Amino acid sequence: MIEGHISKAFDGALAAMHVRVIEMGGLALDQVREASRAYVEWDAARAALVVERERTINAYDVTLDEEQLTLIARRQPVASDLRIIIAFSKAVGELERVGDEAAKIARTVLGSVRGPGAATARDARHLGYLAAALLRQALEAFDRLECARAADVLAGDKELDAEYAAGLRRLLTRAMENPSQFDVAVEAAFVLKSLERIGDHARNLARHLQSTRLPFHSETPAA
Amino acid sequence: MNDHVPGEMRATRALTPRARHPLEDAGLNLRPSSRKASSALLESAGEEATTSGTATLPDPVFSCRDVNVSYGTKLAVRNVRLDIGRKEVLAMIGPSGCGKSTFLRCLNRMNDTIPGARVSGQILLDGRDIHDRELDPVTLRARVGMVFQKPNPFPKSIYENVAYGPRSHGLGKGPAALDEIVFTSLQRAGLWDEVKDRLHGPGTGLSGGQQQRLCIARTIAVQPDVILMDEPCSALDPVATARVEDLIDQLRQNYAIVIVTHSMQQAARVSQRTAYFHLGNLVEVGATPRIFTNPRNRLTEDYITGRFG
Repeated sequence: MIEGHISKAFDGALAAMHVRVIEMGGLALDQVREASRAYVEWDAARAALVVERERTINAYDVTLDEEQLTLIARRQPVASDLRIIIAFSKAVGELERVGDEAAKIARTVLGSVRGPGAATARDARHLGYLAAALLRQALEAFDRLECARAADVLAGDKELDAEYAAGLRRLLTRAMENPSQFDVAVEAAFVLKSLERIGDHARNLARHLQSTRLPFHSETPAA
Repeated sequence: MNDHVPGEMRATRALTPRARHPLEDAGLNLRPSSRKASSALLESAGEEATTSGTATLPDPVFSCRDVNVSYGTKLAVRNVRLDIGRKEVLAMIGPSGCGKSTFLRCLNRMNDTIPGARVSGQILLDGRDIHDRELDPVTLRARVGMVFQKPNPFPKSIYENVAYGPRSHGLGKGPAALDEIVFTSLQRAGLWDEVKDRLHGPGTGLSGGQQQRLCIARTIAVQPDVILMDEPCSALDPVATARVEDLIDQLRQNYAIVIVTHSMQQAARVSQRTAYFHLGNLVEVGATPRIFTNPRNRLTEDYITGRFG
């Protein structure tokens, strides 16, 4: 799919970039899991670790950006090569924002006094689980470069959006019943929103994958 | 092979396009994969090859149908069906020996001069068969000019290089009219400012890039409809190449240009349509932006991404 060039060096550079994008994705996925766990369990030490690791994700973003520019300048890729490099580039952007959302959740834990109540924690755990599952699915599709797998991610994001809307409604009801907890509810709303956004980034990853149109489908059989 | 593809129509060399698969006429409802396999068989049996993309155009300057070229027993170009539009740059790309230069040379009957070369099929220039006995190849070559890989100015002055053609074709009656043609041609070729003070100096005294632009000026001096270029920049440095490419872009407003190039980047930069040749077949033709971002044929994809091997 991305191999088979006459230039083995180009094959190598593309494959290495692919691996690094997936690596960055794995890190972002771990950040999502850790951040939502830190919020649900109200674990400041775990949250601090997430904030700390955010820098590593940003470093991936910077170096991959540079590597992509270099590859384009040196190889002047066209057709599927070009589309895949652009897709990698956009994927890196999505993953960087996934990292941002995870760090935002972690900072909520570090910056507030009171954690979520049991019901809110349950909603956050559920949404965090869905968001992480979706991101994992998107990354696996990207790993195999199979557009067909992207469709599942798009469907999964719809489910996450519905769960988010329901969770937000429940949160609002609880906030109205107990106005003294209003500050906690506002923070919880932001956390749920972040998890929903992570699902959107997973969906975007799937769309970027689809834009590669891989595996290549030849219109006429090679004669 | 007759699946309709949305957007561009597929070009097939069958004279009458079939709406249905022949085996379906026999009452068979085939799975797509079997349909494909069996139609491939049918096509190879009928010597009916296909080109991906749009090979035909409305109101083309050149209209080529079933063009075959052989050198002795070797078939160099097979069944090419291709139109060339007015005021467009068509780039022809493909590996060495794919038939692109051979096909280019058909367009002004340069293959006539090669012993053993046989051209068959129909090539219409503005609706008229270029193999018409009434048509003088010299007249044809004035209407379809050619620029070669290596700049080849005549061993004469810059002025004479440009004036020779129009004079021998009876254009530009009188010295003033000839001066005018030389001026316009050199200016259109983007060379006037560089040579206006040395018009009577030797054409061979110019730099490679200037010589190539002089050859282009010489070509346009006889007011052609089409300019053929066979790797016009392969002997030039990047700066001279950029100048010639810029010139090609300007000339497109007045002429149809067909350029054979080994540089895919050059094809991507200068052309509006790109044709990919492989082993004498025209594999794919289409709008250049599409060919370089989203080729439809595996062979094209492999060639332009550097997977050909």
